[in-house]
Amino acid sequence: MDSNLGYAGGAPKARLPLLQRIGTQRVVRFLFGSAATISTLVIVLMLVFLGIYAFPAIRFNGLGILTQSVWNIGDQYGSGHVVRAGITAMQGAQFGGLVFVFGTVVTAFVAMLFAVPLSLLVAVALVYRVPPRLRPLVNAVVELMAGVPSVVYGLWGIVVLVPFIGQRLGPWTTEHLGFLPFLGGPAGSGNGLLASSVLLSLMAMPFMVATIRDVILAQEKSIFEASMALGSTSWQAVTKAVMPSVTNGIFAAVLVALGRALGETMAVLMVCGGAVGIFAQNIFQSVNTIAAVIVSQLESALTDPTGLAQKSLAELALMLFVITLFVNIVARLILHGADRSGEA
Amino acid sequence: MTTSIAPSATHTKLDIRALNVYYGAFQAIQNASLAVPDHCVMALIGPSGCGKSTFLRALNRMHDLQPGTRVEGKVLLDGSDIYAPGIDAVAIRHRIGMVFQRPNPFPKSIFDNVAYGPRLHGTQDKKTLMEIAERSLRSAALWDEVKDRMDKSALTLSGGQQQRLCIARCLAVDPEVVLMDEPASALDPIATSKIEDLIDGLKDKYTVVIVTHSMQQAARISDFTAFFLMGELVELSTTSEIFTKPKDKRTEDYITGRYG
Amino acid sequence: MRATTLRNRVSGQFWWAASVVALLLVIAVLVAIFGFVISRGLPALKPSVLFTVTSGTSGGLANAIAGTFLLVICGVVLVTLIGIGTALWMVEFANPSQRRLVRFAIDVLAGVPSIVVGYFLYVALVESLGWGFSLLAGAISLTIIMLPFVVRAADLALSGVPRALRDGAIALGARPATVTFSIAIPWAIPGILTGLLVATGIGLGETAPLIYTAGWSNFMPSLAPTHSPVGYLTYVVWTFISMPFSDSHALAYAAAALLMILIFTLNLVSRTAVDYWVLRTRGG
Repeated sequence: MDSNLGYAGGAPKARLPLLQRIGTQRVVRFLFGSAATISTLVIVLMLVFLGIYAFPAIRFNGLGILTQSVWNIGDQYGSGHVVRAGITAMQGAQFGGLVFVFGTVVTAFVAMLFAVPLSLLVAVALVYRVPPRLRPLVNAVVELMAGVPSVVYGLWGIVVLVPFIGQRLGPWTTEHLGFLPFLGGPAGSGNGLLASSVLLSLMAMPFMVATIRDVILAQEKSIFEASMALGSTSWQAVTKAVMPSVTNGIFAAVLVALGRALGETMAVLMVCGGAVGIFAQNIFQSVNTIAAVIVSQLESALTDPTGLAQKSLAELALMLFVITLFVNIVARLILHGADRSGEA
Repeated sequence: MTTSIAPSATHTKLDIRALNVYYGAFQAIQNASLAVPDHCVMALIGPSGCGKSTFLRALNRMHDLQPGTRVEGKVLLDGSDIYAPGIDAVAIRHRIGMVFQRPNPFPKSIFDNVAYGPRLHGTQDKKTLMEIAERSLRSAALWDEVKDRMDKSALTLSGGQQQRLCIARCLAVDPEVVLMDEPASALDPIATSKIEDLIDGLKDKYTVVIVTHSMQQAARISDFTAFFLMGELVELSTTSEIFTKPKDKRTEDYITGRYG
Repeated sequence: MRATTLRNRVSGQFWWAASVVALLLVIAVLVAIFGFVISRGLPALKPSVLFTVTSGTSGGLANAIAGTFLLVICGVVLVTLIGIGTALWMVEFANPSQRRLVRFAIDVLAGVPSIVVGYFLYVALVESLGWGFSLLAGAISLTIIMLPFVVRAADLALSGVPRALRDGAIALGARPATVTFSIAIPWAIPGILTGLLVATGIGLGETAPLIYTAGWSNFMPSLAPTHSPVGYLTYVVWTFISMPFSDSHALAYAAAALLMILIFTLNLVSRTAVDYWVLRTRGG
């Protein structure tokens, strides 16, 4: 014991003999290391597990998962089986996810169309127009908005937004602006692309506003002053000097928000209209997203004795994972690109 | 307050009359009056916190950007009060430019930094912008060092070079007056002496008002010097007079190093 | 030059006005949603509702409340152990490339949609391991979703411990683990706590992964970790609003109001209490 020079501080706490032998330091290190290992492995496990589980579906569906638009678990009551690529499925089974991919991309895209310009404006207002005394309050409001659960947005969507679109906004738009592309067409019930996108943009905004605000605040105030001293108006200073110096941060924020919008489930599920087999021609028609369909199709998928329906849902989940992973990687690359070119 | 008004060798460019600046309830500048002759270099000296930067910023209405700050008095540029109602602060800043203490180049290319001001004011022609850029960079004694790297990021320049770039950027809008707030205090001695050399060359075309915490610098580069203490303009004379025969005891104490 | 200046000023003022309008719009929407939920949910939150269980299409929220409570508590306990342990390892013991690896894995995890996490656990735990819809599966799904927030917050908090403090301890002969427990963790507690509170708020609001792991139950949750599905508030909001009965709707609003109140309180606590602690223990 005395030969162990590093052990300062007197006698060790002799609680557990094990601890005494190995040494508290190493136990602690081991415990924390295990935690870190678990954290790192989760993502790997997820990929591997879903991949293996969905593999039969991947083989059966081939590229059809992306190119076919019909999602049919097949004839449950018939006795016919169909075999493709060595996998057995019910007669008539066809798992085409094109409608869902379309819906996912379009709803997220339209949502960003609303959300990005609005978020930029709101962030600028937060930084430059809100009186200092009100700032903590307004920031708190923005954070609160970020904490509203998806189902609550969906609830508001079903009860307030959808009827509004179906009975007021829709008919008005069709009548007065129906000549514009994508705006014509009957408003239907109000469930559909517009409702989904509005909810998605509401959910995306708090994060983007907070991040863009932080990124602007971190920027040297002297950039704003320097532009003013050169004779710019305050708006010019913001748009021509401050914003261009933080484009990377803004871009990354937008991409992360996009990634979240792509994976959003409940709110969209509640107002999208559950399209199966159709592609929305205008903003009022029904859509469906990958995330929403995974939930809505679970029950019927469970009735498939071959299990292929469930595995195809897993394949969809995997696809969604890959799509959002891709978006996030691009976001990180952009952030790192900024670090290298010496920008803030 | 002993104020000897600077001898009007030439026309008065900036005539400041009874300037008072308040930060909320605190009065930072008390009744300062001062005339800056055209084509000269005037230095503002004084201990930290005496208000010289506050005074300087009142000259191009930078205080407009700070809510809670109040400016009273007149600042006459060629006889017209820049604080008169209806006068556009933005237009004033075309004529009175400012260089700050810490270099603050935009994260853009060197060219884009210098071209920023002219672009704001409507010049879009690339050739004209290049000419303006070269002229300004030469006046700032930076042209030779950057002429081959005009499209590289301004942030790749050294601190001293960045500050000269900021000076070039300021000159590119063709102001009449250049205000400098301790422009060399963040720089090393060699970069500082380069800046001082170039300031001397500026007074042919411009009128320069420079805040400095270094009396030696004021003695080196300025024609006139104003001494501020606790928000009050204590003395104003030619530089040689103020350093050899100061009229006010407070000035003498500061110059001989008794405080500050 | 005069003309451009005038035009710039006018357009500048227009855009500044637009930005303020946008801000007010966003605040208005939040107030609208909040008001909507509270105005319909509060009346429905009678004490009886808190103590009866749901039954089919109406009843009370007792089982859902208990279920949410259990799921979130278990999830938070797990995420505290794993998440803080991970951050501690990253900051105190790992070398730079190990740190980068874990950070990368956490960043990737942060981007995974919650439904994917849910489906993964459904396949792995509910089906393959045969746990069925269960408390543990549900808690684990919440843990995974909360993990990146907690790890990042703890990472930031621990990295922010002043060097001088650590050096002081080391100079007195403290070894790494001792420095960690006696210096770093105490200093980082506010940041870690905030991270945990934020994560809890997120856990409260999750639905999709729980549908696949906790399932749903009309009964009060047993404490059995497996083979026993659990109800939770968000499920009520989702399903009961789609039923054609006003009693069901009332329950959905009540659940939504309860959730909003809980989340709001958490937010408030994390801002004020943590700031107060920092003020008291560090003088700001």
